[in-house]
Amino acid sequence: MVRAVLGGDVERYAELVRRYRDRYARYAARMLGSADAAEDAVQDAFIRAYDQLAQCREPDNFAGWFFLILRNRCFAERRREARMGAGPGDIESRPIPASEQPDGMMDAKERLHALQQALLDLTPEQREVFVLKHVEGLSYDEIATRIGGSVPSLKMRMHRAYDRLRQRLKDRM
Amino acid sequence: MKAYDPLVKQLLDGELTLAELPPELQAEGSEALRLLAAVDRRAVMLPETLDARVMDALRTRARVVPVVPLARRSLGWITEPLELRLRVRPWALGAALAAAAALVLVLRGPGGMISRQGPAATVSALPESLLVRFVLYAPGAKQVGLAGTFNQWNQSATPLVRAGNDGVWTVTLTLPAGQHQYGFVVDGRRWVTDPAAPAVDDGFGRRNSVIAVGGTLRAGRVL
Repeated sequence: MVRAVLGGDVERYAELVRRYRDRYARYAARMLGSADAAEDAVQDAFIRAYDQLAQCREPDNFAGWFFLILRNRCFAERRREARMGAGPGDIESRPIPASEQPDGMMDAKERLHALQQALLDLTPEQREVFVLKHVEGLSYDEIATRIGGSVPSLKMRMHRAYDRLRQRLKDRM
Repeated sequence: MKAYDPLVKQLLDGELTLAELPPELQAEGSEALRLLAAVDRRAVMLPETLDARVMDALRTRARVVPVVPLARRSLGWITEPLELRLRVRPWALGAALAAAAALVLVLRGPGGMISRQGPAATVSALPESLLVRFVLYAPGAKQVGLAGTFNQWNQSATPLVRAGNDGVWTVTLTLPAGQHQYGFVVDGRRWVTDPAAPAVDDGFGRRNSVIAVGGTLRAGRVL
């Protein structure tokens, strides 16, 4: 399909979009704090990937190449928010007050939202390693293959993230 | 609160089990596992409409509205954008720095945005500057700003105003001839670039939309 698009068949790109639309949506949502933000990021990434398709050196590995474009987009979004002084702050990323939760669901839901909020307080690099390992279920070796870096450096990043999350969630876990 | 014990970190990494921790670390280990238990691993499915939006953007991204002398237009151009279109090939122009933008963006729901294609930046010529009309279709937005090189990226300096009740926001600026980078800021926090317009890296890994006015557009072709 990549070769067909590069050969001028633009409409074939729709097949790539359809095939890979959801593959990294969860990664983007956890990185950015909401599904809406992930949708924007994935859309932008597909358009950018189209612009740069000639630079895709391994057409058979479009997914891996596309992931790196989406990753850059997610990192840039977080840096931009930091520069503009605005946090992600979407409603779905805010901890839900316990009083709003039905009995029995309070702890689990509150923890889920509290953790999501705490993840957004990590550096993008720390958050990414956490998301890839504990949301996507990748091993350190797989993470290193996907985003580069050594396993020891990824572990160090993750361990700092653990400590930061513990500090951030000290009253919630 | 102190850092997790290294053994607890190994527990979180999946290299140890809780039973393998010494008794004095059992409580800390249990607390750490509660953290992981709260991880949201639910799948995120994006709407199928995203496919069409991407393809629409790709099909129309090269369409721009050409410069037309203001003297040839009545003030009606403000409410009736030009329908003339210019096809350019930004990929043949280096970093896509030679096209006027086509901007129509849609805000989906109270927090979400979906970019839409369509011509909305209308340009009319003045001797040393150009009138540029920016349009954003964002029915869910409470406020929309335009930030760019022309206003020092001040997101509150150039607010768009609602044009009717159909979710269209608009602002018209006089811009000096030259290239300008810009983006929309919705509700004071969401940065929106235009997928249908040329864009360049902003130095932070993301892109800004680009409009080139003045000498780069002449009589329906890019010079």
